[in-house]
Amino acid sequence: MKQKKFLKKYGFNIVLILPLVIFILGFTIAPILQTIQISFKDSATSAWTLNNYKSVIDRGIFGEAVFNTLAITAIGLVLQMVMGYLIASMLRKTFIGKGLARMLVLLPMGIPTMVSGVAMLYVFSTSGYLNEILYRLNIASIPIDWTATKLRSLIVIAFADSWKVMPMVVMLFLAGLEAISKEIYEAADVDGARTWAKFYYITLPQLKDTVTMTVLTRVVDLLRIFELPKVLVGQSTPFLATIAYEEYSYNNMGNSAVASTLLLGIILIVVTLYLILFEREKKVKH
Amino acid sequence: MKLKKTVAMLIAAVTVTTALAGCTASGQQSGSSDTAAGQESTGDTTTAGNTTAAVQKKDVTLNFAIPLAEEEWHVFRDQIFKPFEEQTGIKINGIQMENKDMESKLEALKQAGKHEIDLFAPSTVYLPGIVDKDLAEDLSGSISIPEQIPKNLYSEFQFDGKTQFVPLRPNVQTNYYYTDRFEQYGLEAPKNWNELLNVAKTLYEAEGVGRVAIQANSGSALTITTIEFIRSAGGDPLVLNDEGSVAAFTFLQELWPYLSPESKRADFNVINELLATEVIYYGANWPYCSTVVVKESGKDQVASYVGFEGPKGISKVTTTTVMGIVNGTPHREEAIQFLEYLMSEEVQSILFTELGWAPARNDAIGEIEEWQRPFIEDVQEALQYAQSRPIVPYWSDVDKAINDAFKDIVIDGKEDVQGILDGYHEQIEAAKAAKGE
Repeated sequence: MKQKKFLKKYGFNIVLILPLVIFILGFTIAPILQTIQISFKDSATSAWTLNNYKSVIDRGIFGEAVFNTLAITAIGLVLQMVMGYLIASMLRKTFIGKGLARMLVLLPMGIPTMVSGVAMLYVFSTSGYLNEILYRLNIASIPIDWTATKLRSLIVIAFADSWKVMPMVVMLFLAGLEAISKEIYEAADVDGARTWAKFYYITLPQLKDTVTMTVLTRVVDLLRIFELPKVLVGQSTPFLATIAYEEYSYNNMGNSAVASTLLLGIILIVVTLYLILFEREKKVKH
Repeated sequence: MKLKKTVAMLIAAVTVTTALAGCTASGQQSGSSDTAAGQESTGDTTTAGNTTAAVQKKDVTLNFAIPLAEEEWHVFRDQIFKPFEEQTGIKINGIQMENKDMESKLEALKQAGKHEIDLFAPSTVYLPGIVDKDLAEDLSGSISIPEQIPKNLYSEFQFDGKTQFVPLRPNVQTNYYYTDRFEQYGLEAPKNWNELLNVAKTLYEAEGVGRVAIQANSGSALTITTIEFIRSAGGDPLVLNDEGSVAAFTFLQELWPYLSPESKRADFNVINELLATEVIYYGANWPYCSTVVVKESGKDQVASYVGFEGPKGISKVTTTTVMGIVNGTPHREEAIQFLEYLMSEEVQSILFTELGWAPARNDAIGEIEEWQRPFIEDVQEALQYAQSRPIVPYWSDVDKAINDAFKDIVIDGKEDVQGILDGYHEQIEAAKAAKGE
C-alpha cells in the first residue's frame, strides 16, 4: 500500500530522471568500476593481484609523476584564480571596447586543447615567438629553453592551460561579481573602507560559492592534465595521466588502470577535503 | 496538466529508446566497420572492374587486415588488389585494422570458430603475442621468398624454426644534415661518436643552442634511438646493464647538453618539422623525411647518409611490416598466392614509387625522380645494417625500462649509470621470469 502510494506520488518523477540515471550508471559509474576492477586483476590469468600496483609504484618516474600532478594543480590553480579574478574585475567596469575585450578573452574557448598545445609551442619553443621578441628587444641574444628545468616546464604547462581555460574562469567570476549588489560597496565607501578591506570583507565572502565552483572544476581538470604535457614537454615531465596513457600504449591495461585509479583517488581526496573544510566552515557559521 | 505529463513521458520514452538504439547501433557498427571497410574496398574493385566477373576463375574472397592511411588505401585498392583480382579472379577484401588490435581480434575470431580474416600484416613488434597464441599458419616449405629480399629482413621472424611471416615493408632511418651549415662551420657528416659529439659541440658553441637533435620523445621513437646506440656499442637492449649499454648511456649523457632542446619532444614528425624550419641542422629520420624536407619544403641543401658508427660498428633498427596467414583459414593456397604477389617486383615497385615505402626487394626501385635517388640509395645501404627490435613476449617491460633509464641517466643526468642500469636489468629479468622465459 505504501509502495503504491509512493509510486503514485513519485512515479512520474522517477520515469523522468530514469534516462539520466541509466546514462550515468552505464557510461560513467560502470566504466569507473570496471577500471578499478582491471587494476586489481592480472591481465593474463584474470586472478586478483596487487602486482599491477607494485609495478606502477615501483617505476622510477611514479613519485615524480605524482609530485608533478599536484604541483601543476597548485601552480595552475593560483594562476587561473588570480588572473581570472583580475580580468573579470576589469571586464566588470565600463570602458570603450569592452565588448571587443570580452570577445578576445573568450576566444581560446573554441580551440581544442591539442591545438592550443601546438599554439603554445609556437610561443615557447626555442625558435618560438617569445624568444624572437626577446631577441629583437635585445633582452636575450641566445634562445632560451623554456622547458629546460622541471619548474620551468611546470610553469609553461600551467601558462598554456591557463590560456586555454581562462574564458571559463573569467565567466564564472564575472557572473559572481555581477551578482554582488553595488549598494554594499556604496555603504562601505560611506564608512570609509579602503579597497583591500572591501575586497576582503565584501567581495571574497560574496564570491565564496563562485570560488568553490571554480576551484572544484579547475582542480579536477588540472589533476588529470594530459594533452599539454604530451605536446609541450614529452616524457621529461611525467604526470599520472601520461603514465596511464603510456601503459595503455604498451598494452598493459592493468597498469594503465592502476594509474587511472590512483588519479581518481587523488581527485576524490582533494575534492572531499575541500568540501569538508568548506562545509564545516559554513555549518560553523550557521 | 495531463497534456504536459503526456508530452514529458513521450520525451522520456524517446530519450531511452534513442539511448538503447545508440548502444545497439554502435555494437553493430564496430562489428561491421571492418566489413564496411572491406565492402568499400570490394565495392571499388567490382565497380571499376566489370571485367572482374568475366575472368573470375575462383569464387574466393580473401580478407586482408592491414593498418593503412587513407592515401595508402587508394594505392592498395586501385593498383595492387585490382590487378591481382583481374589476373587470378581471387577477390581481395581490405580491412583496416590497427596493429594493437590484431592479436585480440584474431584470438576472438579463433575462439568463436570464425574465419573472417585470411591474411594480416602486423608490425614485428606485435609478433610474440600472435605466435604465442598460435594465430598464424606455418608457411615453412609452402611459400617461396624471392632471393632479392635480403635474408636479414625475415630471418628473425622464424619462431621455433617455423616460417610464419614474410616481409612486406622494411623501414630504416638514415641521417639528414644541412650541407651548407656544415660547410660554414668546417664540419663533415659525423662518422663515429667522437665526431658526432664534436659536431654537436661546435654548433652549440657557435650558435648558442643545440642544432643536432635525436628522437627522445618517450615511446617507440626514443626506444629506437637508444637501441641503435646500445647495439652500436656492442650492447644488448634485453640486458641493458652490459658494457655496451653502459657505454651508450654514458655517451648520450655526455652528448645531451649539446643537443637541441627540442629533442625532448622529438619524434619522426617533429624531426621533419625541425629540419624543414632549420631549427636543427642534423637529425635521423625515416625515408619520407626527404619528401617533406627536400621536396615539399624546398631544402635542396639537405643531404643524407647512412649514419655514424659506434665503438662496435653501425647499428640500425628496422621496423618491418610482415604478412602472415591466419591459422586455419579455408583459403590457404590462395592466401599464399597473394602473399607471393605482394612480394613481387611489380608490387614492391608500386609501393616504392607511389607511397615512398622502402622496398623489401633490392631490385624494386622503379622510376624515381633524380632528387630522390641519393636518399633511396642511402636507405638501401642502411638496410644492410638493419636489425629489428627484439621480439620477445616481455618487450613492453623492456621498452619501459629503456625509456625510464634514458630519462634518469640522460635527461636527469644521474651519475651512477651502472647502478641505474643494474636496477632496470632486474626489472627486465623479473618481467622475463613472469612470462616464463
